[in-house]
Parts: sequence; C-alpha cells; structure tokens
Amino acid sequence: MYYKFSDFTQKLTGSAPLAAYSPQGLRLGVPAESPAMIFATPTKLVSEAQATVEYLGANKVPDFQRLFQASDSIPVHLKRGLPDRLLYRTTMALTLGGALYCLVALYITAQPRNK
Amino acid sequence: MAHQAHAYHMVDPSPWPLTGAISALLMTSGLATWWHYKTTTLLFLGTTLLLLTMFQWWRDIIRESTFQGHHSTPVQKGLRYGMVLFITSEVFFFIGFFWAFYHSSLAPAIELGGLWPPTGITPLDPFEVPLLNTAVLLASGVTVTWAHHTIMEGARKPALQSLTLTVLLGLYFTALQAMEYYEAPFTLADGVYGCTFFVATGFHGLHVIIGTTFLMVCLLRHTHYHFTSNHHFGFEAGAWYWHFVDVVWLFLYISIYWWGS
Repeated sequence: MYYKFSDFTQKLTGSAPLAAYSPQGLRLGVPAESPAMIFATPTKLVSEAQATVEYLGANKVPDFQRLFQASDSIPVHLKRGLPDRLLYRTTMALTLGGALYCLVALYITAQPRNK
Repeated sequence: MAHQAHAYHMVDPSPWPLTGAISALLMTSGLATWWHYKTTTLLFLGTTLLLLTMFQWWRDIIRESTFQGHHSTPVQKGLRYGMVLFITSEVFFFIGFFWAFYHSSLAPAIELGGLWPPTGITPLDPFEVPLLNTAVLLASGVTVTWAHHTIMEGARKPALQSLTLTVLLGLYFTALQAMEYYEAPFTLADGVYGCTFFVATGFHGLHVIIGTTFLMVCLLRHTHYHFTSNHHFGFEAGAWYWHFVDVVWLFLYISIYWWGS
C-alpha cells in the first residue's frame, strides 16, 4: 500500500506508487505494471435498465380498467379468471378444512384428562 | 346492470370476511393448543389463512377503486373516517400499555426496591441506539411528507425516491431495534420492568413492521401508476399510519427510555 497526503486537506490517503509520498526522495521498487483498473460497468441506457423503477413499464392501468369493468357479472374477487379461482379455492379449502380441524381439536382438548 | 341513484359503493359478495373470521378462530385456538399441547398446526394454518385473506381482500379493494372507479368522493370520505377511527382505536390500545407502565413506575413496589428502574435492572442508555431510532423515525416522517407532496405534484421520480427512502428508514429502525432486543441486559421475564418494556416496545415494533409493509405496497402501487396527483388515498392512509407509529415511538422514548431510566 502506498500513501500520499491528499491535495487540499493534507490527510493521509492511499495512492498509486508513482504518486506516493517519499520524504527522502527515494523511490522504492515501483511494480512493473500497475494493477488493472476496473471501472464500474458502463451505465446502461434507460430503456435497457433492469431494476430501475423510475420509468420502467408503461402504464397498464387503462388495460386493467377495461378488464375489470367488463360487464360479465363476475364478482371482483374472481374477475381475473384462473389465478383468482385457484387462489380462492385454496383459501376456501383451508378455511373449511381448518374450521373442521379446529372443531375436532377443540372437542379432543375438551375431554377430561383422568390422572 | 341497474344504475344506482347514489354515489355509495355496493360491494360484490365477497368470501373474505368469512375466511378472515375463520382465520381468527384458528389463530386463537392455535395459541391455546400451542401453549397447552405444544402443537403449532392450527396456529400456522390460521396465520396462513390470515395472510391469504389480507392479500385478496386488499387486492379486491384496489381493483374496485383504481380499476373499477367505485371510490367516489363520498366513498373516499367514508374511508377517511374509517382510517381515523381505526388509528384512534390503536391509540387506545397503546394507552393501555402506557397506563400499565406509569402505574408500576410512578409508585414502585417495595419488592422492586421502592425505586425505578427496579433494583438489579440496568436500563438501556437513552442517548445511544434509542436516540438514533428516534432520529430515524423523525427523518422517515419528513420523507413520507416529501413523498406526499411529490405525488400531489405529479413528480414521479422524486415520489419513488422519497417513498423508497421512507421504507428503508423503516427497515433500518426495525433492524436496530432487533439488535437492541438481542443485546439488552434484561428480558421479558425480568419482573414488571421487563414486562412493560418489551410489551410496549414490542407492540410498537410490530406496528412499525405493519406500517413499513403498508408503505411498501404504496411504493409498488406507485410504480404501477395507481396513484394520481389528486386521488391517492391509499398512500395517505399509509402516511397517517406511519405518523401515528412515529408519535407512539416519541411517547415510548420519553416515558420508558428516558424518564424510566
């Protein structure tokens, strides 16, 4: 590790060998090649950016408005079709199964425990 | 579809109140069977059902409002009243725990050594992590207000930034508090001090997690263009809840952390 005094504040900071502070003017063996400098990956175009949420995606609200305002008498919790039905049926199965299981469990726990 | 002659929202028949009620039954029975018989099946089932109910119910509300346009001005007014009443009920919930704290700490029992903090308890230094937590929550109150103004102005990028910052601050608070809980020299079992401390701050922490989740959903909705500059009550409700969480912390900090140390 090589050190120098930074420009303005004169604080001790890391530095490249050639710019290092050497009070007696002696230069220790400078490495033949400096380590490969790795820059950050170039900035992507906004249109290609992956995780940026700022401008990503068009406004799909009008499409959803059309979908959910269709006059098909389907209740709102099923209006999207298959994914809604699957989730609803899973939830209802857990509800009814769970309620039954609960009643059985409570019946069992209500039995007197004879020592 | 017959046209209604009023501006109120007649909701479609929904199964979620039933599933929610059953989940409450399962969770309470589950707690009893967990404590008495060491089985967590019912509790786990009840919690899963609760999460499913919440997801689908609130998803449906988003559909009814953003996609179907049912949230007219009178409907929104009703929702505002509803949120205010809910937060008021939560205030009373916390008043109970503050009552318990002041009851025990204003006139400390002889069994505690007649002083507060009780003999043998080393309280947390209020000017270390608790003070940082106070700064974090106050800052998050600023960022959520900033978010509100940017939403009202239609400034998309600053709105997303400020809302993200608010969520990050909320997560930071939770992480800091979790670390404090782990490192604390006293536990829930340490008499009335431990009890009042952990129950009050514990319920507060739970509300921070709820509030952070609420704001995360708002952030997600904002990325999907759900909020407009003059209709974004979902966000406002979240912001109100967040300010409530902040105020409760200030009371906790002053009473339990500072005065109580």
